Amino acid sequence: MAEIFKSVVNLISAIAIPTFILVFLGWGLIKKVKVYEVFVEGAKDGFNTAVKIIPYLVAMLFAIGVFRASGAMDVVVALLSPVTNLIGMPADVLPLALLRPLSGSGSMGLMTELMKTNGPDSFIGVLASTMFGSSETTFYILAVYFGSVGIKNTRHALPAGLIADLFGMLGAVFIVRMLFSL
Amino acid sequence: MLNYVWISLLLIGIFTAVGRDINDEVTNTYRNGVPLTSHFESHRKLAAVHPAIEGDIVIPAALFNQFYNISSAKADVRQPATMTTLSSGKQRLEIKISDASPVFWQEMAKAAGGKEKLEADINSFNDGKQEITFTLEKVRYVKIKAVTKAALDFADTAVTISLGLIGVMALWLGIMKVGEAAGLLEQLTKLMTPITRQLFPDVPPNHPAVAAMIMNIAANMFGLNNAATPMGLKAMEELNKLNPKAGTATNAMCTFLVVNTAGLTLIPATAIAIRAGLGSADPGMIIGTSIFGAGCATFGGLVAVKLLQRLPKYKKEMEVTETEEKNG
Repeated sequence: MAEIFKSVVNLISAIAIPTFILVFLGWGLIKKVKVYEVFVEGAKDGFNTAVKIIPYLVAMLFAIGVFRASGAMDVVVALLSPVTNLIGMPADVLPLALLRPLSGSGSMGLMTELMKTNGPDSFIGVLASTMFGSSETTFYILAVYFGSVGIKNTRHALPAGLIADLFGMLGAVFIVRMLFSL
Repeated sequence: MLNYVWISLLLIGIFTAVGRDINDEVTNTYRNGVPLTSHFESHRKLAAVHPAIEGDIVIPAALFNQFYNISSAKADVRQPATMTTLSSGKQRLEIKISDASPVFWQEMAKAAGGKEKLEADINSFNDGKQEITFTLEKVRYVKIKAVTKAALDFADTAVTISLGLIGVMALWLGIMKVGEAAGLLEQLTKLMTPITRQLFPDVPPNHPAVAAMIMNIAANMFGLNNAATPMGLKAMEELNKLNPKAGTATNAMCTFLVVNTAGLTLIPATAIAIRAGLGSADPGMIIGTSIFGAGCATFGGLVAVKLLQRLPKYKKEMEVTETEEKNG
């Protein structure tokens, strides 16, 4: 069952983009849109959007970089580990849970490290990879998406995004513990 | 909130770095100025003019751990090293540092200037007993240096990432524009109206923002990251057209962002690829657990975003004052 699901999703992923291009441009052709001209017109915005993001992403990434390089994460882990022990989250994966919303590449490195030391099919290995797949890099998405339209007051987006991350991490711990019948 | 989180990351980072460096200095974590005695197995003599000897430094793990008061060295330390005599008659030792070196020494080498070596003054060398005593170069201000480097490096990374988006952005925005002109986006939107009306009550059901959001979410589901970001940004642009207060995120924008940060995807491709690379017997076993985890994140995030938007504090931030209306 899982295999069928996987191959169906993989197939859709593989053909999605060509189909998409074909349908959109083909439909445009049928509707007598000047496809080339309109395409170029739309594509012009690509550069502006990318450049608009720069200040927001610089602000975000450099603060995260400073935080990570200082080793402050160790201190936060030490403070939080008594709480996470209570809910059955091993102390080993706590740094990953904390880093996940901050840094995509950083948390990918941590996940790889955890699987290398504990084995990819161990409880910690499965939990680490599930946690990685259960959330996205909240701070990065916030900076890029809001930056592209010049949003400076993000209102409740960050707290809600972090609550989503918390739910994702707790959900991962819950389901992987069930899987290993702990 | 972002203001406080942002400045906290910076302040906590800098203060922790200073604190750790002071601690390192007081306890002499890196044993600056303390000589270390080890075994030296010489391979061959190099040049005759400036006599250099290549060899291996061998330090038992227990001794290494004891010297640095750590417990991370598991195996005996064996490092290639070169002994040189300078014209002044001083003897120097250069220890090559690689990924196989003790982590502690790797960190020291990085702190000493990002080089792949550690240098030391030789206090004494006994050729017959093959015993060497040396004092490593001083390692100081490790964390402060790391913080400085990170700040500069990440500023650079941010620009690289942003500029890297130009190509795919242009491609997808072009295709979307054709879809828009052909009226295809409207068709797509109509199909999903029942769901989107619930999630984004402030957005008119046939608005182009809805179509872009649907396509972004679908692309995320199928792990098409290259397509998801441009569509997400297109959606933001459309949502911003409905924004009465420039520079402030609307409820719909926050909701859409939370759906993205929860990152629901049918196949967590990155994690699976890494699992396969590390020899997992069943790399795909995390598909189900990840969907569950990300499902929890999506659900929790949506409930949170809908509850938080009712708080007076956030409601007030969205109110448009008369002066702003005139200016806007």
